[in-house]
Amino acid sequence: MLAYTLRRIAQLVPVLLLLSVAVFGFVEALPGSIVDTLVGTEGGDIEEARKILEKEYGLDQPVYVRYAKWLYRAVQFDFGKSLVTRRPISFELLSRIPATVYLAVVGISLSMLIAIPLGTFAAVRRNSGVDYTAQVSSLAGISIPEFWFAILCVLLFSLYLGWLPSSGYVSPFEDFWGSLQFLILPAAAIGFRQAAFTTRLTRSSMLDELSKEYVDTARSMGLPERRVIFRYTLRNAMIPTITISGLQLANLLGGTVVLESIFAWPGIGRAIFEAILQRDYPLIQAGVLVLGCIVVVMNLLVDLTYRLLNPRVKFA
Amino acid sequence: MSELEADKLVDGTLAWRAPPVPPRRRRLATALANAWHELRKSRTASIGAVMLVLLFGACIATPWIATHDPIKQNYRARLAPPSEQHLLGTDRLGRDIYSRLLYGGRRLVTIAVVAVALSLLIGVPFGVLTGYFGGLADTIGMRIVDGLLAFPGLLLYLLFVTVAQAWKFEGFMVDVVLVGALAFAGMPEKARLARGSVLAEKQKEYVEASRAMGDSSFCIALAQVLPNIVSPLIVTATVRFGFVILIVAALSFLGLGTPPPTPDWGSDLSAARDYMETHPLIAAFPGLAICYTVLAFNLFGDGLRDILDPRLAER
Repeated sequence: MLAYTLRRIAQLVPVLLLLSVAVFGFVEALPGSIVDTLVGTEGGDIEEARKILEKEYGLDQPVYVRYAKWLYRAVQFDFGKSLVTRRPISFELLSRIPATVYLAVVGISLSMLIAIPLGTFAAVRRNSGVDYTAQVSSLAGISIPEFWFAILCVLLFSLYLGWLPSSGYVSPFEDFWGSLQFLILPAAAIGFRQAAFTTRLTRSSMLDELSKEYVDTARSMGLPERRVIFRYTLRNAMIPTITISGLQLANLLGGTVVLESIFAWPGIGRAIFEAILQRDYPLIQAGVLVLGCIVVVMNLLVDLTYRLLNPRVKFA
Repeated sequence: MSELEADKLVDGTLAWRAPPVPPRRRRLATALANAWHELRKSRTASIGAVMLVLLFGACIATPWIATHDPIKQNYRARLAPPSEQHLLGTDRLGRDIYSRLLYGGRRLVTIAVVAVALSLLIGVPFGVLTGYFGGLADTIGMRIVDGLLAFPGLLLYLLFVTVAQAWKFEGFMVDVVLVGALAFAGMPEKARLARGSVLAEKQKEYVEASRAMGDSSFCIALAQVLPNIVSPLIVTATVRFGFVILIVAALSFLGLGTPPPTPDWGSDLSAARDYMETHPLIAAFPGLAICYTVLAFNLFGDGLRDILDPRLAER
């Protein structure tokens, strides 16, 4: 396990380097340079300002030197300043992370709360009404675009019924109950969609387990059905379910750009989206790099957990 | 050459005569009939197939079945409810929603088809070759794939679209960039799948036989192994269609797709949000259209998986 873990961590290095090259290359692919943007706003002696700025941003050096310098600072979480707010980018990003984590964790928990009982029940009572309901609703959940579902929820619950605010955010540390009000709609929109995937997976892995021979053995030994299901099959069937939920969580932490912008949720996805609208390229660059790293590391953690839960998988 | 044919040649006594080839049109008809017969085995697949035929039919026939110019504004008929003249009513600028849906769908489906086809064209040879050759090629290839997969959700597309906007691309070029990004991002999935299947197929005897007959590695990888991994690829590609459509719609919903007045389900939906409270129908139609399309591909993909992989159909 240790050797495997170390090898996987070693494999991360080229992936992260590739990611950083891609993100750095993205800014290089933009027309003009940062200097044009800055000079344009300040006026005065343009040529002189240009030279000073080029020197300040290190643009007089070749690409690979700039990449190395950028990477060296990025590793220390120093991405320079935002072009728009003029505050350090690391601050802009860090201040947005809690909201995204809050939404993603609650959304995924909600999805697991719906999906695991529903998927299990659908598999145990196969071809029953519950099974069909589970199958149809999960197919719908996969096919309905989340932004449409979200605006329909807003239409129903905030515009017509007036039960919940249509958008906004309150930190749970300031006002817990108040923040829940804002959380319900976006979390439900995430939970519903992710639950659709998880339900399908839980159902099919549960069916897979139920068809195995140890189940017949357990039943023929006279063990009560409840014990067979909860003690044996469910435990095995949970392994893929937990894995997929972990991967979903990783993806959600990587920015639910659409939902965060519909609900004016001050998360990291919305920060990047706003940066795109305002052409704040260094912020986009840093944001994508940070999110990519979060996703890669989360995926590794999920993989390692999977192997801990399921010792049968070989450490290939 | 398959093993069976080789046996017969060695035997020499069995003269194998080809059955007469039916005329081309008959062959096509038989193939379609066979395909339909297979599809009937799965109810989900047949429902999905019918929905897809309707969808593609509408996309092809758009110029004939659309009733209005999708861009033409008519201020005297703004936000009109569905009527004989405007089947689904009009939007905030008095444009016919029915016609806009048709033209928008045509564009969206074209983008999805091209993007998925391209991702297969890049991903499959990539996966087959890395899997077949193994060693360093495999290591490098898989790290590239991992790197691409590190971009969560929409981020990769957002980067591409930002670059396109910064270069002031317009109209068609935006679509080209989007299709490129979608193809690029869809590639890893296909490459991994192809690689996995190739690793499994590589061990089998027919590959050994082919090598013994002196075929080159490249030839074996593409001509012998590839046809054997087609069915999982078809299923993945079908499901990917739904995903691509959701992504394109989401991007244009965010205002990062093709700028107005081009008819587009995502941006029409986004524009309809302002009138949602008083005219909910305007927001309903583009959403329903997206749902219908994605559902059609998902149903078809699910059904296909059951048909092509009987082990799973048991469930």
